[in-house]
Amino acid sequence: MNKQTTAAALALALSTGLAALSAQADEMKEGMDKSDMEKCFGVAMKGKNDCKAGAGTTCAGTSTHDYQGNAWSLVPAGTCTETASPTSPTGFGQLEAFEEKQS
Amino acid sequence: MTVAISPGSTSDRAPAKPALPPRAGISLKPEHYRDILDSRPDIGFVEVHAENYLVDGGPYHYYLNRIREDYALSIHGVGMNIGGEQPLDAAHLDRIAGLLERYQPACFSEHLAWTSHGGIYFNDLLPLNYDSEALQRVCEHIDQVQNRLQRQILLENPATYVEFGRSTMAEAEFIGEVVMRSGCGLLLDVNNVHVTCTNHNLDPDTYIRQLPLGQVGEIHLAGFSREQDADGATLLIDSHDAPVSEAVWTLYEDVLGRCGAKPTLIERDGNIPPLPTLHAEARHAESLLKACQEIEGS
Amino acid sequence: MTQHLFAAALLDPNRAAPSDIRTWNGSDPVRRFAVYRNNVIASLIEALADTFPVCRQLVGDDFFRAMALEFVRASPPSSPRMSDYGEEFPSFIERFTPAASVAYLADVARLERLRVDAYHAADNEPLDVTAAADCLADTAQLPLLRARLHPSAGLLRSRFAAVSIWAAHQGRGTMKSLKIDQPQQALVIRPSLDVEVVPLDLASWTFATALNRHETLGAALESTRQTHADFDVAQSLGLLLRAGLIIALQPGMEPS
Repeated sequence: MNKQTTAAALALALSTGLAALSAQADEMKEGMDKSDMEKCFGVAMKGKNDCKAGAGTTCAGTSTHDYQGNAWSLVPAGTCTETASPTSPTGFGQLEAFEEKQS
Repeated sequence: MTVAISPGSTSDRAPAKPALPPRAGISLKPEHYRDILDSRPDIGFVEVHAENYLVDGGPYHYYLNRIREDYALSIHGVGMNIGGEQPLDAAHLDRIAGLLERYQPACFSEHLAWTSHGGIYFNDLLPLNYDSEALQRVCEHIDQVQNRLQRQILLENPATYVEFGRSTMAEAEFIGEVVMRSGCGLLLDVNNVHVTCTNHNLDPDTYIRQLPLGQVGEIHLAGFSREQDADGATLLIDSHDAPVSEAVWTLYEDVLGRCGAKPTLIERDGNIPPLPTLHAEARHAESLLKACQEIEGS
Repeated sequence: MTQHLFAAALLDPNRAAPSDIRTWNGSDPVRRFAVYRNNVIASLIEALADTFPVCRQLVGDDFFRAMALEFVRASPPSSPRMSDYGEEFPSFIERFTPAASVAYLADVARLERLRVDAYHAADNEPLDVTAAADCLADTAQLPLLRARLHPSAGLLRSRFAAVSIWAAHQGRGTMKSLKIDQPQQALVIRPSLDVEVVPLDLASWTFATALNRHETLGAALESTRQTHADFDVAQSLGLLLRAGLIIALQPGMEPS
């Protein structure tokens, strides 16, 4: 790849990219004011610093566990059990569908 | 919104700052950011935990900036380690100073507790023994904080579950000494008084009378949960996840009778209810504050 | 020096409670000390549960809490800024043998951690399109420019379909039909108030990663083409610009 084609490829990419960006910005300006933008703000993450005490003496910190020994008998038991086996031929298209939703 | 100027800025190192109004405020939670901006409830002030805002940007700062335009602000620290045996974390103190510089809150408060040791932050307000060594250490730490922040801080009385054999002073007496020697003010947490007095079989009236009530800059009210100790005695947990209890409202009225109307926070950290529920508790506090002011004025 | 013993016993249930603690009624102080143990451990586990909600759903609440407890004891926080807590949780998960059957769990944790980091990262104005367009005046200089990236941006590369797995827990698609071992990449970014997760093809991820290493545009393009001969820089740059990744184009020098 010589310098000239790199420069030309970048120039084309940047000019189309910037054109799309300003078109997007114009659309936003017409369609939304700032308070609309705020209303789109989804999940407020909880603050993690507070001064409450936990759930009494229900002893989250009082029992001993050792996952390298026999004490660890738990197995994952959430939504991971819903997944198809990794070798399953089904499941193609999921990422594509998600990408469409994102854009 | 107008703010009163503190009538008695007693500390010589702290220039007069706008004080919190003698009204009721609420804990400001991210869950309520939008509601507060949309409904603009008539609330005396809001209070946030400092450590949650030690982040570079994002929605927390965006919303606090917006809300701060319309409401008086109090910042409440939970991680300064005032009661710690080891030196304060200077970098943390610097970050807090930066936060106060940015928001210029009417009030900054911290806890009579320790939170870090040996490089570990425990995320809980841990109890200290009350003796002359601890007294000196706590006063030095408050000096350091007040000098760095260039303002008087308020120190909150703790809720505790154990006592120490080494203690030579009662908690209220210890707090009185700290306030007198360091020139800090008192954040009187009435729920903590109730919790601590229940947990250690103390008389809340006596406890409160021992406190430096002339230096109260703010009051906290909150809810607790109920447990039992190993002998079946009631053990109250400072859980901040329930409405203010009847016992604490009664104690609050008593406190107002002794120290006059003071800015009062409805503090809630768990089971966060809808904003109108918190506001209703704040209105109740405000009706008691009004009654107190009428008696003062008559 | 009582705090040393108190502190050590908070995290280690095999240690005795400090001998100096007292109770007014002579009841066993260990029970009351347990309130502090519980507060510390439960609040730290809760902080992790808040940061990693999809991981929690993936393995179930009991497993997550037990795993988080092991992490809390091994790596308690060092700073009062709790939003930072759990930076090492994804690599802990990777080494945590009871979770080995959920091989993608660590990558989902990385994605969730990037989301919290992006949420609290510094704000920045979006790219000034007019100023960027000025760079087109001298196309020969374009390859020598470097991109300044949005401070909230983070890049994820997974050997698994970590992005789709995460998305399936946001009401987008289901877990059932996923091809788990499909490698995926994503850009996590907060251009304004909302954190966004933008799936990237591997070539775009490679290009964005090169920009993130402060390579010049020309070097980033060439290094991407070495592994992806058919790399479509126009499509890729367009995607990254729309996502808000690039906030400025600057000449030559390494940013300090």
